[in-house]
Amino acid sequence: MASSGSGYDLSSSTFSPDGRIFQVEYATKAVENAGPVLGIKCSNGVVLGCAKPINHKMVVATTGSYKRIHTCDTHIGCASTGFLPDARVLVQRLVEESADWQEQYGSKIPPGVLGERLGTYAHYFTLHGALRPFGAAAVIAGYDPDTKECSLQLLEPNGAPYMYYGVATGKGKQAAKTELEKLNLHKAPILAEDAVKQILRILYLLHAEQKDAKPIEIELSWICEASGWTHQGVPKDLLKTSQEWAKEQLEQEEEEGNGRRLN
Amino acid sequence: MALPFKGGVVVCADSRTSTGSYVANRVSDKLVQLSDNIYACRSGSAADTQALTDYVHYYLNSWSLDTGRQPTVKTAAHLMRRLIYNNKDQLQAGVIIAGWDAVHGGSVYTITLGGSCLELPFATGGSGSIFVAGLLDAEFRQEMTQEEARTLAKKACAHAMTRDGSSGGVIRTVAISSEGVDRDYTPGNELPFGPSAPF
Amino acid sequence: MSELTSSSSGGPATTGFSFENTIRNKHMLSMDGSGALPSPKKTGTTIVGMVYKDGVVLGADTRATSGSEVAEKNCEKIHYLAPNMYCCGAGTAADTEMITQLISSQLELLRMNTHSQSRVITACTLLKRRLFQHQGQISAALVLGGCDINGPCIFQIAPHGSTAKLDYTTMGSGSLAAMSVFESTWREDMNEADAVKMVQRAVAAGVFNDLGSGSNIDICVIRKDSSVDYRRNDVKPNEIKPLRDLINHSALLTMKPGVTPTIGETITIPHPTSNNGMMVGPSDYDTSAMEVEA
Repeated sequence: MASSGSGYDLSSSTFSPDGRIFQVEYATKAVENAGPVLGIKCSNGVVLGCAKPINHKMVVATTGSYKRIHTCDTHIGCASTGFLPDARVLVQRLVEESADWQEQYGSKIPPGVLGERLGTYAHYFTLHGALRPFGAAAVIAGYDPDTKECSLQLLEPNGAPYMYYGVATGKGKQAAKTELEKLNLHKAPILAEDAVKQILRILYLLHAEQKDAKPIEIELSWICEASGWTHQGVPKDLLKTSQEWAKEQLEQEEEEGNGRRLN
Repeated sequence: MALPFKGGVVVCADSRTSTGSYVANRVSDKLVQLSDNIYACRSGSAADTQALTDYVHYYLNSWSLDTGRQPTVKTAAHLMRRLIYNNKDQLQAGVIIAGWDAVHGGSVYTITLGGSCLELPFATGGSGSIFVAGLLDAEFRQEMTQEEARTLAKKACAHAMTRDGSSGGVIRTVAISSEGVDRDYTPGNELPFGPSAPF
Repeated sequence: MSELTSSSSGGPATTGFSFENTIRNKHMLSMDGSGALPSPKKTGTTIVGMVYKDGVVLGADTRATSGSEVAEKNCEKIHYLAPNMYCCGAGTAADTEMITQLISSQLELLRMNTHSQSRVITACTLLKRRLFQHQGQISAALVLGGCDINGPCIFQIAPHGSTAKLDYTTMGSGSLAAMSVFESTWREDMNEADAVKMVQRAVAAGVFNDLGSGSNIDICVIRKDSSVDYRRNDVKPNEIKPLRDLINHSALLTMKPGVTPTIGETITIPHPTSNNGMMVGPSDYDTSAMEVEA
């Protein structure tokens, strides 16, 4: 980084002369180095997916010890990436905020409000010299039972929560964003079942493009009618057929791509 | 009392506030607007219920600010229940929460002295409620029109006012629907039932 | 939620009213000989307020009682809240005085902050919050009246913190007598002279028919243009001097000063230090020099 070592990057309570907060930018770097997370808002639901690199052969990746997608309330799911212990603090906050809301008002928290509240919380950690910004990002998928609408949000370490039609963060996010943009989600939303396939395809693609890549484990979840408008893991059989489709698709693309490249 | 009709709810109350045997206010307004489309009917201690409705009004306001939406009747009832239950040793308040919202349409909740919250097809409360329970059991129907519901509410209220010493004065009603709210006032000498004042 | 109850539990409050002796006092009252307990000065009272075409009129009697005894024959029960607002108080004299002073101060600070006229609804809310917070322990029944941008209005505030906005109201032990006057004669859009006359009659009804009310009648008119006419002792129906003058005393009993001739006057000053502070007898002293002719 251009100005690192000049003393302006020691605390998030100090701006650099060109108006940046380096601690927050470093935290964003921590997110960019961790496994990719994708989310797609669909015409009939919302889907989350992430790829977890298995850094150690013996780690038990499928249990809660290495979980990257969490259920924060029946209607809220959160896929996280970055520094994982930080991400768990964010998830814990989501759980508390949504439970508090339910206790206070007797209804489910609107996902948009939850995202804003988490944003306020994360932002607080970028204001004080004694605190460290979160080295994690959270993709929040939610369903609002009152308005019957789904939503997808990304919260980054700077504390700004934005709504998205499709979103990617973590390692290879640029490539993933390019792929998502090709899907034209903001104009013609796709079905949740198709989003599962596309997310798998993109995750595999990112993995394939990566040099000296560690083996990965995939987590996929959704909120849609099939899941009773609650946040659930994508059913195993759908996952299997989608995985097969995604791999096939990539092989095809590779053949076509190789052909193009020769020209 | 609160009676739902097709597409909304009518809330209705007399106007007597008494201290002991003296009528402290003969034209009081026991129907309090909590949000654009939610009303509360107060019974019990005037001071307690005024403070409670002030709090719920405030909480619903901040709820709307947070969410950018109109609150649901269920949320209003839940807030009121929490306040009453958590402070039940110090309160003397029976409240009916009724209104219309986009999620559930017209709905009616009653919160008892002890702080339990019940959703009901229709609700009566206060000292006069026992005098109208039977009448409403007999005459209440689902899916009435607004005018039918309002007329029945006034009739029941007038019956309570003649039999109950702690009820009296005028009848105030509010019809709440997706269209908004419509307030109505019936003077004490034009009640649908009972002796009218001679002057 | 704690706001509801914050002052009624826990240790003694650091500011404002203290209720640490409430339980003790209750216990003492249940014991024998509780009649000897001191009781606060309560104003059995008639206070009234009404709206007329161009403003509001407040009225109050001036008697303060302590049990069955009249403690003060000419007290003030119409308290200042703001230049455009006054408040009649019934109940414990100290409580009505203190709470109106407190809210008056809060209103003045608010005016300094906002550079705008105080509103009657603001005063009403501040008063009801304070009264509700103390759960009726502040024994103040108030009739609040004033004019603001929303026009003239009257509020009735009960000691437990319930309020009502009314066109006319009465409070205190004489409220029934006063209300009977209003209920029979109040009309909408009255002129000032008629309104004042009606308030005088209402308070007078309390003064003459309620034992707790008496003495004089104070009137306060607050007009829409915020001009105030505070008429202290506007009516004095119980002036006793003319009554006394009516009594014909015998010339023998009405003696003018100086009728009895003074033969002489002796002033004896004791010596302050001699005889270990013992009084010095007159014989030790030569007093003849101090003789004074009357």
